[in-house]
Amino acid sequence: LVVAGSGGHTTEILRLLSCLSESYSPRHYVLADSDNMSEAKIRSFEEKRAETFSKSQFSLDRIPRSREVRQSWISSVVTTLYSILYSLPLTYKRKPDLILCNGPGTCVPVCLSAFLLGLLRIKRTIIVYVESICRVETLSLSGKILYYFSDYFIVQWPDLKKKYPKSVYLGRIV
Amino acid sequence: FRFKDSLAEELQSADLVISHAGAGSCLEALEKGKPLIVVINDKLMDNHQLELARQLHRDGCVLYCNCSTLVETLQSMNLSALKPFPPGQPEKFASFLDKVFGLQ
Repeated sequence: LVVAGSGGHTTEILRLLSCLSESYSPRHYVLADSDNMSEAKIRSFEEKRAETFSKSQFSLDRIPRSREVRQSWISSVVTTLYSILYSLPLTYKRKPDLILCNGPGTCVPVCLSAFLLGLLRIKRTIIVYVESICRVETLSLSGKILYYFSDYFIVQWPDLKKKYPKSVYLGRIV
Repeated sequence: FRFKDSLAEELQSADLVISHAGAGSCLEALEKGKPLIVVINDKLMDNHQLELARQLHRDGCVLYCNCSTLVETLQSMNLSALKPFPPGQPEKFASFLDKVFGLQ
């Protein structure tokens, strides 16, 4: 299950997917309901992929946006909880083995839902979070939250590895 | 023009790129091997944009300035001193995930 966020996030995550083998299939993309550009990028990526891997499969689902840029902390908690009402049944339906995300607000409700399903012993999903390449010295808000809920937290710059020792540093991967 | 789906064509034929500090814009220009001047908007400062611009500057890959020093920068720039920007390696990520799932 791949969480796509607006603009740059989607471009980065598609780059991350570019070298994955077909073992990572079918791919279920989750987008915020207000995001149009990401759908086009994803379709384009999958079409290209289907040229090499003909049996390639993917799906697209949408959930309410959990937070607008610069939205206040308190209202963000409310809107995120609202998004969880959608992400929980979706994650339950898809029961992914792996969730891959890179920082948009949309990933918080999705990952928390998977984490919850894990606690309830319904499905154990591995959550892999890759912090965006623009985060050199500080983590994004999603990163700060999911650092504690992800199985693997990947950062792309050495400063972050120093500050967040449980993270994984692979260098620049996009 | 105001907006275009992709600036790839324009970037390909450019000799110099002047851009805001958005990650996508910077990386696209650098990956095409174009000299890049990043302009930081002091007033609309989005902190995390600045982090990447600063790091790229430290690595010697871009020149940076703000709106008021742009002209000065253009006049005194030494583009040949800019270092090339090595591409990212998504294969390392694929390899890492394969290990996690025992696919290697």
